[in-house]
Amino acid sequence: MKTDISISVKNLSKSFRIPHKKMDSMRTAFVNTFRQNTYETFNALDNISFEVKKGEFLGIIGRNGSGKSTLLKILAGVYLGDCGEVYIDGRISPFLELGIGFNPELTGRDNIHLNATVLGLSNNDIEDKIDSIIGFAEIERFVDQQVKNYSSGMKSRLAFSVAIHSNRDILLMDEVLAVGDISFQDKCYEVFRYFKKNGRTIVLVTHGMETVNKFCDRALILDQSRIVNQGDPGTMVEQYKQLFKAGKS
Amino acid sequence: MSAFIYKTSESRHEDYGHLIWMLAKMDFKLRYQNSFLGYIWAILNPLLIFAVMNFVFSSIFSSHGGGDQFYSLGLFVGLILFFFFSEGTNAGMRSLQSKAQLVSKIYLPRWTIIMASTIHSAMVFLTNIIVIILFFIWYQYVPTFSAILLFLLFSCLMYIIILSVSMIIAPLFIKFRDMSMVWEVVLRVMFYASPIFYPLQMLPEWIQQVLLMNPIAFIVHFTKEAMFNNHFVDLWQFVAFFASSSLFLLFSLQAYKKLIPKVAERL
Repeated sequence: MKTDISISVKNLSKSFRIPHKKMDSMRTAFVNTFRQNTYETFNALDNISFEVKKGEFLGIIGRNGSGKSTLLKILAGVYLGDCGEVYIDGRISPFLELGIGFNPELTGRDNIHLNATVLGLSNNDIEDKIDSIIGFAEIERFVDQQVKNYSSGMKSRLAFSVAIHSNRDILLMDEVLAVGDISFQDKCYEVFRYFKKNGRTIVLVTHGMETVNKFCDRALILDQSRIVNQGDPGTMVEQYKQLFKAGKS
Repeated sequence: MSAFIYKTSESRHEDYGHLIWMLAKMDFKLRYQNSFLGYIWAILNPLLIFAVMNFVFSSIFSSHGGGDQFYSLGLFVGLILFFFFSEGTNAGMRSLQSKAQLVSKIYLPRWTIIMASTIHSAMVFLTNIIVIILFFIWYQYVPTFSAILLFLLFSCLMYIIILSVSMIIAPLFIKFRDMSMVWEVVLRVMFYASPIFYPLQMLPEWIQQVLLMNPIAFIVHFTKEAMFNNHFVDLWQFVAFFASSSLFLLFSLQAYKKLIPKVAERL
């Protein structure tokens, strides 16, 4: 099936059970064998449906606790939804944060291998790309040093560099632009432009309204577990600001 | 309520083998970083226990085993096998917890994480085999070829048991934080219920039968029998053992499937 839709979400709902009494040890579980544990249900996502076209840059905005991260985790496959359907056409990047699996005790090179493998690159891919990864991150001189000796900027450059070399059709990103100094941020924007030109699909969860205005083709507002509206980024940002004011007062 | 469907047109990881190997390799690197000394710590634990037990118990039990050297060698082989089990299951149990980021911030099949940490323990076990060989050279004793073969076969079965146990207790450890304490007790019981520092033959027949239900006792006992008494496990016994290990593996995979979906939320 070849369509121009890369992510299709239909009637997705997800709720979490928050028990009144924590049962996180065998002892309490045993003591309370015959006692019904009461819990509250929190609907993190309530009947969400949307589609993302191939090559589209979708921004998801919403207040804290509106369900953005849960949605992204379900798209990535980290959480399972309760009901609904998620179809993904193309290779999706399974990560939500940069530098997953980084270990400060390992060298930069080892961390590249580890991180890239976790992101789904094969050994040959890594060998082909490692010079380019190191070059983009600008850490040539330090690549064989332990990452614990890196500055935080170097770490984030390295993490970002591996991520963009993971070569996926669909990228999921949770607030990545907060990292790095201005010149590196510019570099990231450069990469976003490059991805856009190459027809990659990107879903970005962010609080940065400027980023939404600047890059997204479309934005989606989540509030209280539902989609409030979606459409042109400029309009959505305005609506989101209104919503925020209304929520505050 | 309708079910949840998640489908991707292309898989997110092509090469699970490479993924598992990389995770295990980095574990190994971290633990034994830049030095041979790191490995010394791994072998020190069984060596010290061996030294104490050999000193204390060899005078008591050696008459049954037929000579001091057989007692010492049997004790050491038994200890290494048991440490393989205890280290392997402990690492497996803690794997998801210690690699929480790989569970909650990214999608990886969770079994790859569990398997990687057991493989790390298997690599330690393999290096320990070298120490066993040194012991045999020191005591100038060569077991028969079939005995060595049986030892290797049992080591493989031991790995399968470790993996099966880990698949169950790794998600359980996320759910119940006191799982580690329970497991510690289980391991201690299994240690004393296995003929590691005593010969099984000194016990009444019915107790022997009961103890041999413990897979670790079974492996340790028949490894020692083959190596030092040239007495081999009966074929039917071995087949029964193999079959129950396989059944246990199947059971553990079912338990894993049931326990794993909510693991990311609980972390």
